[in-house]
Amino acid sequence: MAAEVGKSPAPSGIVKGPQAVVGGLALVALALFALWLVSDLSQGTLRSMGPAMLPRWLAIGVGICGAVLAASGFMREGHPIEPFTLRGPGMVVVGIVFFAVTIRGFDLGPIRIPQLGMCGAGPLAMFIGGFATRDVRWRDLLILALALTAACVMLFGDMLNLPIPLYPQWFSDLYPASFNNDTRMRVTAGILVVIAALVYFLVPGSKDPSINVVVDDTPGVQR
Amino acid sequence: MGELLGHLALGFSTVFNFVPVDIPGLGTIPIPLNILLCFVGCLVGTLVGVLPGVGPVASIAMLLPITFKFDPTGALIMLAGIYYGAQYGGSTTAILVNIPGEATAVVTTLDGHQMAKKGRAGVALGIAAIGSFFAGCVATVFIAAVGAPLTKLALIFGPAEYFSLMVMGLVFAVVLARGSILKAIAMILVGILMSTVGTDLETGQERMTFGQQFLSDGIDFSTLAMGLFGIAEILRNLDNTETRDVVRKAIGRLLPNMQDMKESALPIVRGTFIGGILGILPGNGAVLGPFASYTIEKKLAKDPSRFGRGAIEGVAGPESANNAGAQTSFIPLLTLGIPPNAVMALMVGAMTIHGIVPGPQVMTKNADLFWGMIASMWVGNLMLLVINLPMVGLWVKLLKVPYRLMFPAIMMFCCIGIYSINSLPTDVMFIAFFGVIGYFLIKLGFEPAPLLLGFVLGKLMEENLRRALIISRGDMMTFIERPLSGVLLAVAVILLVVALLPSIRKSRDEVFVED
Amino acid sequence: MKRILLAAVAAFAAHAASAQSYPTRPVTMIVPFAAGGPTDVIARIVTEHMSRTLGQQVIIENVGGAGGTVGITRASQAKPDGYTIMMGHMGTHGAAPALYPNLKYDPAKSFAPIGLAAGTPILIVTKKDFPASDLKGFVEYLKTNGAKLNEANAGVGSVSHTTCSLLQSLTQAKFTRVAYRGTGPALNDLVAGQVDFGCDQIVNLVPQIQAGTIKAIAIATPERSPSLPDVPTTKEGGLPEFQVSAWNAIFAPKDTSPEVVKALAGALDKALDDDNVKKRLHELGGTIPDKQGRTPEALQKLVESEVARWTPILKAAGAVAN
Repeated sequence: MAAEVGKSPAPSGIVKGPQAVVGGLALVALALFALWLVSDLSQGTLRSMGPAMLPRWLAIGVGICGAVLAASGFMREGHPIEPFTLRGPGMVVVGIVFFAVTIRGFDLGPIRIPQLGMCGAGPLAMFIGGFATRDVRWRDLLILALALTAACVMLFGDMLNLPIPLYPQWFSDLYPASFNNDTRMRVTAGILVVIAALVYFLVPGSKDPSINVVVDDTPGVQR
Repeated sequence: MGELLGHLALGFSTVFNFVPVDIPGLGTIPIPLNILLCFVGCLVGTLVGVLPGVGPVASIAMLLPITFKFDPTGALIMLAGIYYGAQYGGSTTAILVNIPGEATAVVTTLDGHQMAKKGRAGVALGIAAIGSFFAGCVATVFIAAVGAPLTKLALIFGPAEYFSLMVMGLVFAVVLARGSILKAIAMILVGILMSTVGTDLETGQERMTFGQQFLSDGIDFSTLAMGLFGIAEILRNLDNTETRDVVRKAIGRLLPNMQDMKESALPIVRGTFIGGILGILPGNGAVLGPFASYTIEKKLAKDPSRFGRGAIEGVAGPESANNAGAQTSFIPLLTLGIPPNAVMALMVGAMTIHGIVPGPQVMTKNADLFWGMIASMWVGNLMLLVINLPMVGLWVKLLKVPYRLMFPAIMMFCCIGIYSINSLPTDVMFIAFFGVIGYFLIKLGFEPAPLLLGFVLGKLMEENLRRALIISRGDMMTFIERPLSGVLLAVAVILLVVALLPSIRKSRDEVFVED
Repeated sequence: MKRILLAAVAAFAAHAASAQSYPTRPVTMIVPFAAGGPTDVIARIVTEHMSRTLGQQVIIENVGGAGGTVGITRASQAKPDGYTIMMGHMGTHGAAPALYPNLKYDPAKSFAPIGLAAGTPILIVTKKDFPASDLKGFVEYLKTNGAKLNEANAGVGSVSHTTCSLLQSLTQAKFTRVAYRGTGPALNDLVAGQVDFGCDQIVNLVPQIQAGTIKAIAIATPERSPSLPDVPTTKEGGLPEFQVSAWNAIFAPKDTSPEVVKALAGALDKALDDDNVKKRLHELGGTIPDKQGRTPEALQKLVESEVARWTPILKAAGAVAN
């Protein structure tokens, strides 16, 4: 699943320090990009500097640093590029973006993503993000996500009174009108805990013996 | 001297004042209300500070309405407690999960998180608390004794001096980097470049915003720091099963021992001094405190290569500087009535809501408030020590949670925290974006710390450069002709030369290999 | 998914039916600036009392950015059900169209005005050793020595910048404008004498003027302020055209039902009549509008006249944000 991309090529041929070459070229690209972005702004004079003066010179500085760095990669023996995976960053990014678009709803062109509030966006984002690692155990993750969201509702909503959407309005309206805001929050947190408890008791845990939760009792390491 | 004692006595009597309060079922009982408020403030501050993203600005803003019920002195004591409580809590997050809550905690992540990775999280947290307590005590006396006369320092600093100060700060950033100097300089430049994104202050034109409204105020520090440090750290750990298990395997001692204390004593004293002085400067001079302290400790150390790999001096010094600066930054507010940074601007708001307009006369007109607040700082620092030392064990236990469950939780707290600051979904997306950037920076051997420092100082540097040149009508000599500015620039040049000396460069190359 | 949608629709319909009992849940007021600023403070003082009248809490949500236009844009696009309202001010509903050509709202058309909350008068202040002490001398000095003088403001689009643009356009003086990030740093450099003068809201200035660290030249209101009875008005000083006040007013998104507007306007009216609210606003140097001045109709007129007034001045000052 986790594709190993960008495996370091052995430092052979003219590229002696691939890390420096790639890093340097990235800086040069950033510098060119910045130069292009400020190209339509005025530079002004020393007496009255324009908005483009500093960014332009900074970009040139970044570009020079990048060029020197890239050149050093051709001249000097250097580090290879560290291997990287796509699964970790990919799933974490998807999780965070999911939270961003569902916390209070989001207009994506013609599509309107509904507001889920913290009670929906939080655990779902955590669940998605949790798949970033290969040793994901969805049952534990689900229990934690629900329990932690309940704690967050109490902490952010009830105690700190943050103006953060907790749940969609239609959900709040499901409660009897006699419930005030705090009661609704507390009951919601309670429901989340109950679901978490149900999962804990009803869904059997994995039988894999390697999952003992704390793996830190390796002898000799603890001081 | 007698006057000082008299003032402190007035302050402490205000703090320990017993107020009759109607308690249902018990009748009217005199209770030390201000002490309680101070405690609540410290406790809440610590709690909020620990949550990633929710820094002191956000937390004071959130809790402002709660203080409506109290008299102004009590309310301000509580808000001040939240402020320095959040500083304490912020270091906890920086050490445990590598997320700096605000600019001043960036330095703490460098060695603090490395210590945690080596199983010395407890020691790092302990020394941070002890150093902060010491700094807090000294700063309290310092404010009481020389706060008012030192106010003049704030007025000597014009735009030219600030520019030179920021240049000096950027030189610190070069020294603080571990890898090659070239890469460090590149990162600083990128940081300053990023700080120029957004609406130009002088002309109102938008720069590099792609016409997007959410970029028109520039990139937010918390999103950048949380992405580059917090999220990137998660991504890196996900790659590397070994490093993340180390965190859990060895827990080690919970509190610093004599040896640790000995190593930290001088750094704490130096940090307190540097942080305290820089904190007085308006225009956010306090930001420089921890960086300056780190730079000095690294320069003074017999073996600078330990820095960035869990050197205790690299936590003790900057943490003390941080806390000393946090307190002395009250001086411009209390004596001039001018807020030096965002948190203090919020305190001004709090004061005005309570009907006290801060200004040069607060000290005489509201003497009990002024000295009460100063005395409460000392009391608050003591409380923070009492709150935090026992919690060290709890925090360290948290590190035992398997990483596969830990990282989604950190991720969710980051999302909620960052969203709560501005209620902007785009901020949340930004932490993902900067997380990926930070991940690739690490992979390419760049360090994020100089970038972040460049970012923090860059904005101040550009604004003051342009302001100074506008006032001098375009004459560059203003930076040298003004004596203080000239001295600061000279110090910057000397520091840079020292940093670039070949011998030091050699040792730098030796530690080029990260981890 | 479908079921959720249906539930949402049903809930919405149920809500529409029960609109007469507005509000049935907390109302969110978007303040488009960071907490602790003058607008935020005024919003908090006023909403605290409004919550009592409405029987539901009014929660302040600070959505800062781009001179307040980020928060106002968001609020203007909210559902017009009365549960999202906003605190606009002179900048967001007066100066913004001139400053931000890409503005996504029209101050006069995109809103249902509720009412004016409070204004804060503007003062002209100088460093303490400025050669002139009265308005006549100041204007004279400005005209002859303008090229040497530096004016401090809190950045393009801020109240201090906008109002000083008016001063510039009235006097035609050629002083140099220095922008700071916020009024605090600008005031600091004025106290230190790094810059020569500035215009700002009274709330920030009273203690400094009383302590003699800066000098007040004139106040831009028809009458003198009770907090600074010694400071003459611009009318007395011979520059009657310089009349400005940084006003703050409550708006709802357009198409908000008249019942909701009425409920909110009523609550605001009641709050402004409350002695404690009055006292706190006065402490800030704020001016409270009279009964006619705080109606939705008066606010609509004010917005229209302010947009018409600031657009040419700001365009002339060359302050156009992209």
